[in-house]
Amino acid sequence: MVNATMQTENVDTTAIRQHELQTVRRSFIRGIAEPLGLIAALVALIIVFSLLNPRFATLENLRNVLDQASVPLIVGVGATLVILLGSIDLSVEGVMGASGMAWILMSANSRGGADLGVWAWIGAIAIGMALGFASGALFTRLKVPSFIVTLGMWYVGLGIATVMYGSGIVPMLTDEAVGGWASSATLGLPNSFWLAAVVVVLGVLTLRYTRLGRVTYAIGDNETIAKGNGVPVARVKTVVFVIAASLSGLAGIIATMKLGAGSATVGSGVLFVVIPAVVIGGTSLGGGKGGVLRTVLGVLLLTVLTNGLILAGVSPSWQSGVSGAILVAAIIVAAWSQRDRLRVAK
Amino acid sequence: MNTTTPPVLKLEGIRISFGPIAAVKGVSLQIERGEIVGLIGENGAGKSTLLKILTGIYQPDSGTIEVNGTPVRLRGPRDAIAAGVGVVHQEQSLFSNLSVAENIEMNTPPGAGGVSRLGLYRWRRLNRDAAATLEKIGSKLDPRTRVGDLSFVDRQMVEIARAIHMDPSRNTTPLVILDEPTSLLERKETAILEREMRKLRDVGAVIFVSHRLDEVLRVCDRVVVMRHGELIADRRTEEVTEDDLFHLMVGREMHSPDRRHRPIAADSRPAVEVSGLTRKGKFRDVSFAVHPGRCTVIVGTSGSGREALSRALFGAETFDSGSLTFGGRPAAGWTIAKATNAGVGYVPAERKVEGMVGGLPAAQNLTLTHPGPAAAGPVILPAKRDQVARTWFDALDVRPNDISLELERFSGGNQQKVVLAKWLNSPDLRVLVLDHPLRGLDPGAAETVNEQIRRARDEGTAVVLLADTLEEALEMGDEVVVMRDGVVTGHFDVATDDPSTLDLLERML
Repeated sequence: MVNATMQTENVDTTAIRQHELQTVRRSFIRGIAEPLGLIAALVALIIVFSLLNPRFATLENLRNVLDQASVPLIVGVGATLVILLGSIDLSVEGVMGASGMAWILMSANSRGGADLGVWAWIGAIAIGMALGFASGALFTRLKVPSFIVTLGMWYVGLGIATVMYGSGIVPMLTDEAVGGWASSATLGLPNSFWLAAVVVVLGVLTLRYTRLGRVTYAIGDNETIAKGNGVPVARVKTVVFVIAASLSGLAGIIATMKLGAGSATVGSGVLFVVIPAVVIGGTSLGGGKGGVLRTVLGVLLLTVLTNGLILAGVSPSWQSGVSGAILVAAIIVAAWSQRDRLRVAK
Repeated sequence: MNTTTPPVLKLEGIRISFGPIAAVKGVSLQIERGEIVGLIGENGAGKSTLLKILTGIYQPDSGTIEVNGTPVRLRGPRDAIAAGVGVVHQEQSLFSNLSVAENIEMNTPPGAGGVSRLGLYRWRRLNRDAAATLEKIGSKLDPRTRVGDLSFVDRQMVEIARAIHMDPSRNTTPLVILDEPTSLLERKETAILEREMRKLRDVGAVIFVSHRLDEVLRVCDRVVVMRHGELIADRRTEEVTEDDLFHLMVGREMHSPDRRHRPIAADSRPAVEVSGLTRKGKFRDVSFAVHPGRCTVIVGTSGSGREALSRALFGAETFDSGSLTFGGRPAAGWTIAKATNAGVGYVPAERKVEGMVGGLPAAQNLTLTHPGPAAAGPVILPAKRDQVARTWFDALDVRPNDISLELERFSGGNQQKVVLAKWLNSPDLRVLVLDHPLRGLDPGAAETVNEQIRRARDEGTAVVLLADTLEEALEMGDEVVVMRDGVVTGHFDVATDDPSTLDLLERML
């Protein structure tokens, strides 16, 4: 027996050492491999589209793509936070409409009215915050699934925008400097992209270095355990919904600026890009896994795809169907590694 | 030990009732610093209720609790944490997507001395504090590792570290409650955990709840036994034997193993034949056969590949090469549905996740796979179904005897009886694959489950069993297959080779 015990001791240490090595290797591989796959896909798309149309790989088109990506990037940061909780925010387009409309009516526009300058931004984002707070509070206090609450809030936002729009003439931006700000370049790249980059960096830092961010991961992994550890779950969720809706509001301003006119449906189509981008990036819809940088890759992939299809000469009547099919294919590829015989998808 | 320090825990006349039923009837208990006290009792003896009182989930109707000499009222989990009572639950409660350090610090309030300031995380401080706590229990885990990447036993260490971790500015002796921490561990891992538990003596005191009596005797200084809500015995471990404890808990004798030689009939064809079965990264070139009415036990440590193999038999995982034959018919494109139709039953280790539909009543669970007389074609006959369920409930002594209760509301042992009955209900069960069927069961329930497994075997079912312990393997098996790193390293016929546990262990490690 003495012999056997000694043997056990020996085996333990080697087993543990081996195990530690394995652990390190496994997390290293996971940390590198998944984004590498996405980056490879992005590079492949870029090569294919460059071959199809030489105008694709130009600096001008790069600016174009980055400008187009800015709105889904800003919204995507908020959407990533919400999805990490294991919830979902469908109100994006409604909030964009409400905030965008509020912003243009408070800025110099063809309808006249007061030009509130920077206060127009603050006011417009505050509307987003209020809608986000309403979603978060209804979701956490009344325990209504976020899917339904934010679906409703989408139309509430559209309604607010429509009421503000009224029956008058279309409000157009009159100040060319304001209207052109988003798409004009600083250091060679569009301002809208720089703004999105700042939001992305803040998103990364929040998730990594704040208690809010870490607790978001914890709640997404297991809400019951989080509660048992004294995490203020309802408060954290509400704050995350407020952040997400504020970012949608900011995106609504940028989209309106680029359009040059007020429209309740300024956010149309954004949700269709953002949610798939988050998922393709590898953030799990079940919560707890993923991050903002992954979403950036997802957004770039989808933006390049749309842009490339146009340049490749795919007829507009086909584009919607083709991009939908490619999207489904991309999600299948992205989820391939998690496929398991007994995995349940609902 | 030292008379000047107050006991870590002192309970006086703790009593609690739920409606007319008294769950804990006046328990008094004192635990000194540096002591490891075993708490044993059958399911329903009041152990878990007592633990819930200690962790602030239930408030006792009467009686007093003193922690480190000060009377406390534990009104919730946070009060218990603040008083220095930490629990390691049977089911792990860690965030697998966060780092070791984050998990350890999760329930320390973020206030003064905390690891976040103005909402900002101080990673360096966080990792340093967590490393210090890990060192106290002798663990060298890197606090930055993601918990999901750890082995089960390492995760258990993180749970223990979290239980003893507290604000360094407070000076209390922690009381750690280990609620069946080893019931899910393999033997080798258990040895590591036992070693770590002894180190907890230097840090505080431990209450160790376990159904493995041998382990309780090895690790604990003292054992207290609960039966029907009362503390009926308090013994030094050196004064008692395993049999004594079993007797105290259950009030009846332990079943003596039968090692009757069951020869294979000359004309018998194996019910299941595995030959050269390989799945890359899991198991390689595994061959064995099980004849009707015999039991083959597969033993091995957690990396041995025996779990994957057992799942492959049931069609829950695929295999790359080799062949699998059931009653002479090759299993081609094997799936769970085909396996079930061919008379293969499977009791998974993860009972709550894979073995049962917790939200459905017990009767529906029982007749889910093989409705038998409970259905006429696609139509369910509720009266017949309830009759079938009642028969099984009586045969297996399932408690409470209520077939319409949701299965998740039964205790673990009684759930397992229903899960097993689900397969036994099939009129032509040919092969029964059991992955740790006794995991987390009290000795009484384990006895019932084993009895049913033996009965199925004697009625002609071939049994493939992944046993919890080597003793169990030798008690239940006609043959024992030993696996290590995915390959078979030993194959014994229990009756003719008469292997000892040491023989098996040698080939496992």
